[in-house]
Amino acid sequence: MHSAMRFANLLRDQPTDRRLFTLVLSLYGARLTACPLDQHYTDPLAYARGQSAVRETFQPDVLFAPVAVALIGAAFGGRLRYLTSNAPTLAQPAIESAGEWQDLNIPDPERQPHLVFVREALRRMVAEHRDQVPVAALFLTPVDIPMLVMGMDAWMDTVLFDRPAAQRIARSLIPFFVTMTNGYLDDGAAYVILPCAFASPGIVPRTIAEQFSRPIMAEALAQLRGPVALHHLDPPLLPHLDLLADLPAVGGFSLASADSLSQARTLLGRQPILLGGPEVRLLRQGTSGEVEATCRAVLEDRRDDPRFILCNSGADLWLDTPPENIHAVRRAVESWASER
Amino acid sequence: MSLELCNETAPTLAQVRQSLVSLIKQADRAGANALLNSWAAHHGYEQVFKELLEPALIGIGESITGEKHTLAQAYVAAKVAEDMLTRAVNQPGASDHDEPAKGPVVLGNPEGDFHALGRRMVATMLRSKGWLIHDLGNDVPAEEFIGQALATGARIIGVSAMTMTTAQGIRALRQEIDARGLRGRIQLAVGGAVFLVMPGLAEDVGGDGTASSMFAAPALFDRLWQASLQAELSHA
Repeated sequence: MHSAMRFANLLRDQPTDRRLFTLVLSLYGARLTACPLDQHYTDPLAYARGQSAVRETFQPDVLFAPVAVALIGAAFGGRLRYLTSNAPTLAQPAIESAGEWQDLNIPDPERQPHLVFVREALRRMVAEHRDQVPVAALFLTPVDIPMLVMGMDAWMDTVLFDRPAAQRIARSLIPFFVTMTNGYLDDGAAYVILPCAFASPGIVPRTIAEQFSRPIMAEALAQLRGPVALHHLDPPLLPHLDLLADLPAVGGFSLASADSLSQARTLLGRQPILLGGPEVRLLRQGTSGEVEATCRAVLEDRRDDPRFILCNSGADLWLDTPPENIHAVRRAVESWASER
Repeated sequence: MSLELCNETAPTLAQVRQSLVSLIKQADRAGANALLNSWAAHHGYEQVFKELLEPALIGIGESITGEKHTLAQAYVAAKVAEDMLTRAVNQPGASDHDEPAKGPVVLGNPEGDFHALGRRMVATMLRSKGWLIHDLGNDVPAEEFIGQALATGARIIGVSAMTMTTAQGIRALRQEIDARGLRGRIQLAVGGAVFLVMPGLAEDVGGDGTASSMFAAPALFDRLWQASLQAELSHA
């Protein structure tokens, strides 16, 4: 059984030969191909080559299109800095306050080079792998895109102290979000991952998640043509999970290692796919034995939960994550299956 | 929000502090400012800091440390402190403030780090406790940190890093401090989101100390300043 079959069976509640697993290895592809990171994040062919190497080396059940949210900020006019050991970062946002928003041009998804790079990398990956391995893409919701356009300080300030302006700005981004996300789905992404910052219990109080973020997310997600998975970002998502549970188009939740998967399942019901597993820090600094033991414990916890994918919590794996720790994840899945 | 502070049913200081904590936790900046202004009108801005704002901020720091902490709450707390500082320095007689300025200290984000929010909030907390801050901003090379510290007489360099990658860049600053024979004389305070989730990272990158939140930063800087003085005495 190959990964695409496993994924299809998971969605149809059909049996799989083993549990699905994946790791966010967007950056790691560059390590495997020894690709300079400025090329990795600008050349779709180079990026896709890296993901082919990821598939060949680790055989995850889902591959990832470029995970580099700073590219979204750069597409709006922010200044990008390419790093030597991590995804690019924003050195300067496009604007510094909500008052400048009205003069801002929303980038054209078909022409803006950073957006075209991600789209083209996704298309190449889908063309190469779709029959055998699903490919996921990542984007941000309209309530989170502004933090990349004006910087975290200015967006936080706007959300907290000028709610009408924040709502106006976030709503103005809904068409862009819908075009981008539907574009990824049309290009063959199996699902789109949406990190939740301004719905996260670590970032905003419940009232803001409920009164500001949720309504705008609901309006935007209702216009999508395929499934998305909401991602915990870094802090646990569980305290706000009930607010996100019945949003349109949400087929899955990627949870933090500190989240209780059992509580999440109880809260969400049986339908949504849950993703969870060892955090990126353990994968980077733990031993392969610790990683394998953690994965087995998670699999054991999800023994009676078929709609589950073992996946790292946190973001993209660090470049210096030991490869044996990544192999340990697959080994845990395979050995756990063989013992059943 | 305003509280009647002078009649017979006036709330106790503890109740006012609790109200302030509650308003900040609800991200109600306007309400918190109204309460502080009301207090200041009767007791003066110096007393606002000593009796109300500082204890409230410490209380907030203690109560929201851990999983209930949201970035928005910390941001509002910093904004309220900043608002109060601005108002206090613009008051007639502000120069009479008898607490001597502390510092100076140098703050910044290491090379490749452009996440300013945490650093700015820490700077506000330090200013509210009387520290004189030289904020060098984002993406600061090790040489610039040290150059500014030497030029201004700062005994502490505070570095805020958001990610593991940029936190690793602090090692270069540690090495540069040591290479110039400034270990002890210049203390290295490190902090930021990544330090909260990676115990031991502060020591690993060569920091002399770290704080669990912006609310704990003033106490850390007090300790490091004393450590610098001690180190200088022991070398004299």
